[in-house]
Amino acid sequence: MSEIEPLVRLTEELTKLPSIGNKSAQRLAFYILKQPRESVEQLCDAIRNVKDRISYCSVCSNITDRDPCFYCTDDSRDPRLMCVVEDPHNVEGIEKTKDFRGVYHVLMGALSPLKGVGPDDLNVRSLLERVGAGEIAEVILATNPNVEGEATAIYLAKLLKPLGVRVSRIAMGVPVGSDLEYADEVTMLKAIEGRHEV
Amino acid sequence: MPLYTTDALILRTYQLGEADRIVVFLTRDKGKKRGVANGARRLRSRFVGGLEPLTVVRLAYYERESRDLVRLNYADPVQSPMRMRNGVSLGYVEYFAELLDECSPDADPNATLFRLGAAVVDALAAEVPVERLARYFEYWVLRLQGVYPPLLLCQRCGQKSKGGGRLDPGNGGFSCLACADKRGVLLSAEALRFLRDAAGVPPEGLSRIGLSIGAGLQLESAHQQLITSHLEKELKASKILRAMSRES
Ligand SMILES: [Zn+2]
Ligand SMILES: [Zn+2]
Repeated sequence: MSEIEPLVRLTEELTKLPSIGNKSAQRLAFYILKQPRESVEQLCDAIRNVKDRISYCSVCSNITDRDPCFYCTDDSRDPRLMCVVEDPHNVEGIEKTKDFRGVYHVLMGALSPLKGVGPDDLNVRSLLERVGAGEIAEVILATNPNVEGEATAIYLAKLLKPLGVRVSRIAMGVPVGSDLEYADEVTMLKAIEGRHEV
Repeated sequence: MPLYTTDALILRTYQLGEADRIVVFLTRDKGKKRGVANGARRLRSRFVGGLEPLTVVRLAYYERESRDLVRLNYADPVQSPMRMRNGVSLGYVEYFAELLDECSPDADPNATLFRLGAAVVDALAAEVPVERLARYFEYWVLRLQGVYPPLLLCQRCGQKSKGGGRLDPGNGGFSCLACADKRGVLLSAEALRFLRDAAGVPPEGLSRIGLSIGAGLQLESAHQQLITSHLEKELKASKILRAMSRES
């Protein structure tokens, strides 16, 4: 039965998803096959929409369905306070604390000599341009509390300080070596409140 | 499944699925190993803090029959480069880890290489100037690989060199200034003196051995050539380190 070409193809595509092994992929493929046509159309549509409608904000590089994004255009936010994070999901984590009311800058990763990720592979230049424009007074570096995140924060601090802004690093309320993606709201809130100037 | 307990140096990790990591580590007595750390990506994981590159750990693992990957039981940090108070040297952590990784074949016990790595982590935590530490580390890793040419005697005239010389990895090694042609990297008398003095001390002693910027750059480029010709590729981390120092 697994020789039926469309099923094989769908299974193969599903195996490419994170944490989907061959067995799970097969199960999902059969599940999809048994679904009514409309719900399969809805799934396809949702997947296509993610690629068609979501892009990166031209100001902060966060993912967004309009440009500039919601955070960059919200007048109630403080444009003098900026939080620098590695990935879009870190923005969600910080938003959950409901405490941070500034703007964001998303690097799209961290410096990683081992993986060959250097400054040119991250949104560093656009960060320096934004800060250099003068409106920002404080930059909070909220990269992950691991070797790569720390090295990135130190590297950025060195570039940012000559621009005349206050540069701070979130407190290590989160365990060393962990990923901020998994930090709960309280831990994240403590990390921002306890930030120190670097 | 027998349980092994050992000291080890974490070299790198890869994400595995949602919650796990594959860990590459250099053990004191069994060489380099790869293993799975279940749940290592979770915030409250028992591995948190123990799997960052160059962490020295007390580690236990199960060997699994007919499998290349062992299963990690625990990894308790003993020394961590994250302990540095000023973190400028953090950029070098992954470079050191990559160099160790590339120079240690799987399951080939090398206690000296492990001790060197662990001592370098101690020196990082003790804030030994990182450029000196990097040149020292490269020197010793290359020597342990048997690829560091003898620097005191000229390979052409056999004389002891007093005023420096040139190192040409592709061309036999070190020549004194009188014999050398224009190829290879110039090593001043000061650079040679640093190597001679540094070779005789543990890494923490490097704080007392001076190295000027110029001589440091000579050694850096000589070592990069030796590493590239030995490994037949340039390390990823050296390119990134160069890019990082260019802009800051
Ligand atoms: Zn934006
Ligand atoms: Zn000679």
